[in-house]
Amino acid sequence: MKQPAWRNAAMLAPAVTATVLLFGGALAGAVDQSFTPPLGGGLDSWSLDNWRSVFGDPVFGDALVFTLLTTAMATVLAALLALVIASLMRRGSSAARTAAAFPVPVPHMIVAVVAVLWLAPGGLADRVLGSLPINLVRDQAGLGIVLVYLFKETPFLVLLLLAVMGRRLDEQNEMAAVHGMGRWARLRWVIWPAVRVPLGIGSIIVTAFVFSAFEVPLAVGPNYPPTIGTYALEVTQTDAISGAGEAAAALLVGAAASIAFAVGILALASRQRRSDA
Amino acid sequence: MIVGPSGAGKTTLLRSIAGLEDLDRGSISLGGKRIDALPAHRRGCAVVFQEPRLLDHLDLLDNVAISLVAQRTPRKERRSRARELIEEVGLGEFAGGGVKGLSGGEQQRAALARALCAEPELLLLDEPLSAVDPNRRSSLMDLILQLQEDRGVTTVSVTHDRAEAAEMGQVIALLIAGTILQSDDPESMFRRPQTERTARFFGLNLIHGMVKDGHLAFEGSEIAVEGPDGEVTLSIRPEAVVIGDGGQVEMTAIEAVYLGTHVRVILKGEQSVLEAHVQAEVSPAVGSKVGVSLPEPQLWRIPAG
Repeated sequence: MKQPAWRNAAMLAPAVTATVLLFGGALAGAVDQSFTPPLGGGLDSWSLDNWRSVFGDPVFGDALVFTLLTTAMATVLAALLALVIASLMRRGSSAARTAAAFPVPVPHMIVAVVAVLWLAPGGLADRVLGSLPINLVRDQAGLGIVLVYLFKETPFLVLLLLAVMGRRLDEQNEMAAVHGMGRWARLRWVIWPAVRVPLGIGSIIVTAFVFSAFEVPLAVGPNYPPTIGTYALEVTQTDAISGAGEAAAALLVGAAASIAFAVGILALASRQRRSDA
Repeated sequence: MIVGPSGAGKTTLLRSIAGLEDLDRGSISLGGKRIDALPAHRRGCAVVFQEPRLLDHLDLLDNVAISLVAQRTPRKERRSRARELIEEVGLGEFAGGGVKGLSGGEQQRAALARALCAEPELLLLDEPLSAVDPNRRSSLMDLILQLQEDRGVTTVSVTHDRAEAAEMGQVIALLIAGTILQSDDPESMFRRPQTERTARFFGLNLIHGMVKDGHLAFEGSEIAVEGPDGEVTLSIRPEAVVIGDGGQVEMTAIEAVYLGTHVRVILKGEQSVLEAHVQAEVSPAVGSKVGVSLPEPQLWRIPAG
C-alpha cells in the first residue's frame, strides 16, 4: 500500500535533521569563518579579505588544478575498475565478495602509510623487486595519491554495483537476449540503466571525499603542488591570524566543486532517464 | 507442450532451445536449420518466462517493443507496433504508462505482447501461468491460445500441470529425468499411456496381474482382458471407476476428500488400492464398504516392456 507523503516525510525527518545539523551546520560555520575579517571585528563585521587572499595566491590555483586532476583520475579510474571487477565477480562466491570488500573499512591513513612503506624509494617494493620503474611516492603527477584512492574506493564502488547486479539483472539480461538484443545492446538497455544510479551516487561520494581529504596527499603526495585539503592545512599552520578564514574559503571552493559535480551527475542521470522513456 | 514433474528438465530443455544453456551433446534445428551454434539473440526464438522480466526504466510501450529497439526500428514506428499488440492483449488503457503499477497477470500479458512483437519463428513459454492469480489464469490461457491460433506461430510450452497441458497442447510430450517417455495427443496421454510412469504421471490407476484364458483375477472377481495371456498392467482413469450397488467387487472407502468439482475417494481392497473421482451426491462415507465396477471399455492395457 502506498504511504501518504506526510508519513514518508515524518519517517525521514530524524535522518534529515541530523544531516542538516551536522553537515549544514559545518558548512554554515565555514561560510561564516570565510567572511570573518582576519583581524576580527564586531559581530556584524564581515569582509572578502580571506577570499581575496586565497584567489590571489598562485599556490591555490595550482592546488585547485592538481586536486581537480587527481580527483578526476581517481574517480573515473575507480568507476571503470569497479565496473570491470563487479562484472567479473557477479557470479563469484561470497568469500570472494568479502575479500574484495576488505579494503573498505581500512582507514585511508593506514593505506597511505603502507603505500609509503612499500612504494617509497628504498621501500619494501624496491628491496623485493629491485627498483620500481616509476616513482609513486611524492611524484609530481600525483599517481601515488590516485593509486591509494583506487585501492580504497574501487571496492566501495564494487560493493554498490554488486548490490544491483544480482539474479534479477541476469534474468533481465536473458530476456533481452532472447528478444534479439546482442551484447552491446544489452549493455546499453539493460546493464547500464541498472548500474548507473549506484555508480553515479558512489562516484559523487568518492569525488566529494577525494576533493577535500588531506591525509593521503600529505603522506604520498608531492611537496608541490598541494591539494586543496593540504593547502587548507598549510595555511592554518603558517598564518595563525588569517589561516582559519583562508582555509575555510579554500575548502568551500572544494565543497562547491563537489556539489557542482553532484548536480552535473544528477542532471545527466535525469536526462538519460528522459531519453530512455 | 512439454509436461513433467519438477526437476524433469523442462526448463533446461526450453533454455537450451532458446540458447540460454550450452548443450553437452546433440543438436537443435529450427525450420531445417541448425541453430545450436547461434547465440540466443540470433536464434529467432522469443521466450515468455515464469516471471514477466519487464524493465522498470522503460515504459510499457518500449518494454513491448524491445525486440524492435534491438533492430533499431525508428521510435515512432516501434511504439506504434507495440501499441497494437498492447491493445491485442487487453492492456490498451495502460499503454501510456510505466510497468510498475501493473498486476502480475497484466505484466505477464505485457510479456506475451513483447514476445509476439519479436515475430519469432518459435515461441517458447516457460510455465507462463504459474505466477498468475488462479482467477486470471484461465483468461490468460485463452488469450495465449487465441493469439497462437491467429498468428499461427509454432509454440513450445512447458508446465508441470497436466490439466493445463491438456487444455493448451495439441501434442503433449512427457519429460521425466531428461527423457521424453511419450509424445501424443492429449487424449491418448490421459487414456492410453504407453508406460507405467506415464500412467502414474497422468493420474491413472494401475492394476497388475496375470492374464489366464483372457481373464485377470481382481479382488475375488475377474476382468476380461483382450490380448495374449501373461503378465499385464491395466490402467483406468479415476473418473471411470464406478461406485455403487451391484459393483463387480467390494472395496472399503478409506479416504474421501471434497475438491470443489468432485470427491476424490481412495478405495482399498484385499490386494489393491484404487482412486475414484465421483460426484459429492454418490460419495461413500469413509470406512464404508462399497461396490466397485471397472467398465471394460475404459480399461487400457499398457504395452509390455
